[in-house]
Amino acid sequence: MNKITRSWIVNGEPREAEFAPVRRLLDVLREDLGLKGTKEGCGEGECGACTVIVNGQPVLACLMAAGQVEDQAEIVTVEGLEKTETGRILQQAYIEKGAAQCGFCIPGMIVSSYALLEQHAHPDAGLIRESHAGNICRCTGYEKIVEAIQTAAERRAGNTGS
Amino acid sequence: MSPVSTLKTFEDIDCTFPKTLQEALELMADEKTRGVPLAGGTDLMVQWESGALPMPERVINVKSIPELREISEADNEVVIGGSVTHMELRQSSAVRRAVPSLAEAAATIGGFQIQIMGTLAGSVANASPAGDLAPSLLITDGTVTLAGVRGEREVKLTEFWKGYREIDRQPDELIVRFRLPRLPEGHYESWRKLGARKAQAISKVMGSSRGRMKDGVVSCFKVALGSIAPTAVRLYDVEQWIVGQPIHDETLKEAEQRVADAVKPIGDIRSTAEYRKWVSGRLVRLFLEELAARSG
Ligand SMILES: Cc1cc2nc3c(=O)[nH]c(=O)nc-3n(C[C@H](O)[C@H](O)[C@@H](O)COP(=O)(O)OP(=O)(O)OC[C@H]3O[C@@H](n4cnc5c(N)ncnc54)[C@H](O)[C@@H]3O)c2cc1C
Ligand code: FES
Ligand code: FES
Repeated sequence: MNKITRSWIVNGEPREAEFAPVRRLLDVLREDLGLKGTKEGCGEGECGACTVIVNGQPVLACLMAAGQVEDQAEIVTVEGLEKTETGRILQQAYIEKGAAQCGFCIPGMIVSSYALLEQHAHPDAGLIRESHAGNICRCTGYEKIVEAIQTAAERRAGNTGS
Repeated sequence: MSPVSTLKTFEDIDCTFPKTLQEALELMADEKTRGVPLAGGTDLMVQWESGALPMPERVINVKSIPELREISEADNEVVIGGSVTHMELRQSSAVRRAVPSLAEAAATIGGFQIQIMGTLAGSVANASPAGDLAPSLLITDGTVTLAGVRGEREVKLTEFWKGYREIDRQPDELIVRFRLPRLPEGHYESWRKLGARKAQAISKVMGSSRGRMKDGVVSCFKVALGSIAPTAVRLYDVEQWIVGQPIHDETLKEAEQRVADAVKPIGDIRSTAEYRKWVSGRLVRLFLEELAARSG
């Protein structure tokens, strides 16, 4: 297949990749760009483990043809979170609240949390649950995850004064 | 030739990235450049992966064609581009004003990620009997516009779904936009999806209605249900019967019975078919009750 080249900003850094146009974004990130933090759970859109952010929006990397992500697009994966204040606050809150058990869902879960807080500084519990409904966790029963996100939202708002 | 060479992967699929609708239609016109339209990929990628659909030679990326991304309002209708996403449908004030049940239905699809990726044309063309947007489109009596290089063609949505996973589209055509007559003054819409949890997917029934009450009786009522037949369906007989009736216990009971008699559910298991008939009746009863309550 004729390969195409795309230049993206991945976790704040310019990256270039060459791939067959319908290669899954998940495979380009993990294998071509070496970003193994993003996980494949189901590979069919049901679990959310592969969630990444493209231009501020959470998407499923297992269902996205990488060629559909245009040049200059900004991609954030779980590896990029600790470079951001929101990401660091979220990580700390997830740890403190015991929101991660086996951890398999967490890369996708916390990326969804990041996307939410970047768009809504003060989400209520309903919005937190709805925005994470596409992320399945078999371990925690979600309660601690919701608490972690609420805690992170409060700290973040405190820091920025918003 | 080794048999292995026929096993295709995503990497074997070619893809074109037209920048304009005209460019896309020219690619579609020629069999040598034509591709399967790829929008959000939330149906196609899954169907290819599972083997439900064979992987095609070529796809054409329609997701970012500018003409397919627009939402606009005219006097009596809202016009929605095919590549508008479910998230955009639920957030658009124009859509929420004109066809509130469509915005509500879009908000119940998958999780946020699926709503951000999936599109209106993708849902309509996928033509699953369980597609959540079909009932809300049907009750508007609106149209879908298809385009080829020869020109455009407008098809009534009530005639667009031909049968199980079958739509009125030629191989060289793209779905461009939907023209949906807006909710008239004094009318109300309802939307519900019942039994939608994954474990109960088998018994899912969903529907939408648009109606009005005047001088104590129903003066207009349109209702469509999904997941009960090979395509979503309007219940014309029930609609006609209820017009002119007041809404009280007796007419509600009769409406419920008429709906149960009118629908011919799919479902090989008899209990499932019986259950769907019953739920369909309850759903329409609920819509009529809501109409009466809102009309005060
Ligand atoms: C985890 C998960 C949960 C889901 N939950 C729901 C749900 O709750 N309710 C629901 O209704 N659906 C659901 N879906 C199904 C799916 O999201 C929808 O049917 C819809 O969003 C598909 O849109 P798409 O843009 O992704 O389509 P694609 O997969 O890109 O395409 C689907 C079909 O449409 C055709 N097509 C796309 N655009 C055009 C065009 N412009 N012209 C002609 N043909 C076109 C394609 O060729 C293909 O045949 C779910 C899917 C997943 C994976
Ligand atoms: S791996 Fe993508 S949703 Fe499960
Ligand atoms: S922590 Fe185990 S799946 Fe979520």
